[in-house]
Amino acid sequence: MAVVLEAAPGHAAARSAARPGRRRPRPGRILLALTAYAIALIFVLPYAEMVISALRPSDELLARGYLPRHYDFSNFTSIWRTGFGSNLGTSLQIAGGATLLVLVVALPAAYFTARRRFRGRTVFLLLVLATQMFQPAAMLVGVEREFVSFNLPSPIVSLILVNAGFNLAFAVWILNAYFSSIPAELEEAAMVDGATRLGALRRITLPLAVPGIVTALIFTFIGAWNELLVGLTLTLGSSPGRRPVTVEINNYIGQYSIDWGHLFAGSVIATLPVIALFALIEGKVVGGLTAGSLK
Amino acid sequence: MKRGLAAVVTLSAAAALALSACGSSKNSVSSDGSTTLKLVAADYGTGPDNSSQKYWQGIADAFHAANPKITVKVQSINWNDFDNQVQTMVQNHQYPDITEGDYFANYAQEGLLYKASDVLSNPQNLLPVFAKLGSYQNEQYGMPFTTSSRALFYNKKLFAQAGISSAPQTWNDIQTDAAKLKGLGKIGFGLPLGSEEAQAESLLWMLGNNSNYQDGNGNWTIDSTQNVAAFQFLKQLVGAGDTEPNPGTKNRTDLWKQFAQGQIGMINGSPALIPIIGQGKVLTDADWTSVPIAGQSGPLQTTLGVCDFAAAFKNGGTSKQAAIKSFLDFAYQDKYQLQFDKEYDLLPATTSAADALASDPTFGPFLQALPKAVQYPNSPAWANVKAQIQHTIGTAVTDDPKKVLGAIQQTAQKSS
Amino acid sequence: MAEQSTVIGRGDGKLRSLARTAYPLVWIGPAIALIAVVVLWPVVVMFRTSFQHISPDGFVLGRAGWKNYTDLFHEPDLRGVLIRTAVWVVVVVAVTMLLSVALAQLFNERFPGRRVARWALIAPWAASVMMTSLVFRWALDANNGVVNVFLHDLGVLKSFNSNQADWLGRPVSALVWMMVVAVFVSVPFSTYALLAGLQAIGEDVYEAARVDGASRWRAYRSITLPLLRPAFLVAALINIINVFNSFPIIWEMTRGGPGYTTSTTTTFMFQLKQSYIGESAVMSVLNFGLVILLVLLFLRATRWKDQVD
Repeated sequence: MAVVLEAAPGHAAARSAARPGRRRPRPGRILLALTAYAIALIFVLPYAEMVISALRPSDELLARGYLPRHYDFSNFTSIWRTGFGSNLGTSLQIAGGATLLVLVVALPAAYFTARRRFRGRTVFLLLVLATQMFQPAAMLVGVEREFVSFNLPSPIVSLILVNAGFNLAFAVWILNAYFSSIPAELEEAAMVDGATRLGALRRITLPLAVPGIVTALIFTFIGAWNELLVGLTLTLGSSPGRRPVTVEINNYIGQYSIDWGHLFAGSVIATLPVIALFALIEGKVVGGLTAGSLK
Repeated sequence: MKRGLAAVVTLSAAAALALSACGSSKNSVSSDGSTTLKLVAADYGTGPDNSSQKYWQGIADAFHAANPKITVKVQSINWNDFDNQVQTMVQNHQYPDITEGDYFANYAQEGLLYKASDVLSNPQNLLPVFAKLGSYQNEQYGMPFTTSSRALFYNKKLFAQAGISSAPQTWNDIQTDAAKLKGLGKIGFGLPLGSEEAQAESLLWMLGNNSNYQDGNGNWTIDSTQNVAAFQFLKQLVGAGDTEPNPGTKNRTDLWKQFAQGQIGMINGSPALIPIIGQGKVLTDADWTSVPIAGQSGPLQTTLGVCDFAAAFKNGGTSKQAAIKSFLDFAYQDKYQLQFDKEYDLLPATTSAADALASDPTFGPFLQALPKAVQYPNSPAWANVKAQIQHTIGTAVTDDPKKVLGAIQQTAQKSS
Repeated sequence: MAEQSTVIGRGDGKLRSLARTAYPLVWIGPAIALIAVVVLWPVVVMFRTSFQHISPDGFVLGRAGWKNYTDLFHEPDLRGVLIRTAVWVVVVVAVTMLLSVALAQLFNERFPGRRVARWALIAPWAASVMMTSLVFRWALDANNGVVNVFLHDLGVLKSFNSNQADWLGRPVSALVWMMVVAVFVSVPFSTYALLAGLQAIGEDVYEAARVDGASRWRAYRSITLPLLRPAFLVAALINIINVFNSFPIIWEMTRGGPGYTTSTTTTFMFQLKQSYIGESAVMSVLNFGLVILLVLLFLRATRWKDQVD
């Protein structure tokens, strides 16, 4: 679920210097481009298959051909009748809640760690680093029994906490790197001009750190949105509407011996928000991953 | 900057939604005296149109109209996942109030269930032949809800094409016929040993060799010599390519659908296969038929009778007991039993409904065979044994049957 | 920036220094609390559960001493599961890292349409691993999967519904295909991580090398690779952990079957949980220990400590 990334604010300048002016592509370049296109195609192919299969009419579902003879959109409309909408809502609650919780908790921690060398700072950072190694899969029995014993009002709350907890370390790590690279002098200058520390934080530092914040939050959101194992473990007892999308799609398997049509339609629908979010941060993914703080 | 702000605002809104998630699902008896019951039922349907969700929702709605203070929330789960999911619910203390599906004895053992007499006004109406099966320590907890029996279905058209003139009666027949069908490029015998219902298919072959999971005294005989021999036969059948490949990964519903498409020559089925054949739109009524299950030396005289049980969980004190009783009395009415049976081509579980169907040409013969039918063990250990059978018995036809059956026998003895 | 003064007036003493030590907790307290509750406490629960005797329905029936441990180690399938897990991790990570190095280099070059090509690489990252696994399972269907259709057209596959076409029914071919899927979903992240590393190296380093007369290959070996090392190690470590803990791929494609012949330690633990919670907890403990072992070995082998802040 969590991913470790050594991040620094956009070192856009460090990217390969762009040569101005156009050049006619040399044959070597063309070959390169073709190879890249072929590889890109391979990575997109399975998802194209997913969309195509979702569009197969039910009597052509088991037909042996690459493309169906007719295209049928009914899977995309009938899926809402199975209550898929509430699953989307539940996933939104979980991912949104987890992301908000991470924001509220990680920001102060990362800011303070970046600015002050307090006692225990190294320990804290090592703790953060260490917990990035842990994933719910490795500790499922413990997570399950613990949250069952808490007896929280709803498994959704449990899932918010679990997703937030496991993504927190990554968020702190990224934000710490971002805050570290924003010179403290900027805040000092603002405070000399009469601003409070919090005011300086809000008006100077936060705006500069927004790319990092957004990246961290979006990774958390996507991680929580796509999470399967803990959701499967904790929400089976809930009514179907109160389960996240991943669990519900998993249940299409074995249902009438695999309801492929709805399975793929649901997958396509569930992937759209993620693509939208990725679009938001695409430019920053490479910049944010620049090995600035990798020494 | 704007985009970042927008992101934060959107996420805050989402979080506000999240807080509404704390809408409690815990208190099912609210202050105005209304009760909510959670019903978890297995899905017998073959598609969204005849999903069991619809059947139960119909009953729930009619019941609610007659009893406005009680709401029943219906959840149906496919057979592949039913045991696993109910088990998880129980482990997570998210108990259902009523289940309709499978075994119950282990829950009774933990003291989680109401007795049948606590939640049914007329438990004597339940078919007496299943009363013992539904009992734990001489007290009835499992209420039979529906039953079925098995037969061997085969594709007459394919048989004719392959030059087979008579129905298979012995294992030898099955082998020779399957080999001929293989020559046509079809699957000779469909053998579902995947996790959906491996325990049923396995039992049919064990019965074919005069053996069972337990002996008459309740001792486990899973790795008896006859059972091992039965699986040796199957292993040879699979190895010769007379069945679909890797049966341990194939489920009953998938194979039934392939039978309906005319790709499989022979398969063990229940009356529930009939509507699937109809939906496949490939075979006409004249193209297939059913005969008694083939045994090692001749057709079986007794078949496998599967009984699915309803159970009521003690979950929320006595306030719910009255509501559960009210609902179950309502749901067990003959008209709903008959509706279920006609919908899914299964058999009833109450004496009154069975009497109503006795003269029906389709159901009558199956009903007559029921009292003599063989059933699954009703030991509390069955839950673990069944799970292991479902998951591992497929390897008995590709690996060493003695080893696999022996491992299951060990589990049975360990859990007893 | 002004450090908090460490000079204390003698009279203020204890209270003041206590406040000073506790002050950071205002900022980092919630983070520590959340991590402690969600990530660390389950470890304790897990250990405790492994010593309990638990009914399949989740009721604690008492202490079990080491019985769960001995039961687990007597499971006949455990050995296969452990070996398979090792193979799974080693092969997937090795192939992923090799491919990613190559792809990162490729996508670092300038060519028209580079941006779109890079975008395509994000697809497996955006779609959940579960969905990717399901598409592959669908494509490998013995009856009508696209892969089988393709192979049939090529003449490689003789007939549908045969053993040859049943990729996911045979343990070895199923494992191979699942490894393909694992590589497929791991490559995007690693490629991007290495791409970032490559871009941080900058042009001038190569200019200097070219001026000195170094060939492209030489420059690559002596300059690029060493500078890429940090990014490579980070990506490799993350990969190892992700692949080891991977659940959706195996669960959705074969459920670990037939039997347990395609299970890794993670799916095995999940299966055990249905009937034997105590043993499942021991498997969890084992998993946890293996992760820590892997990480420590890795850090040791790469002398990580010098690289942390």
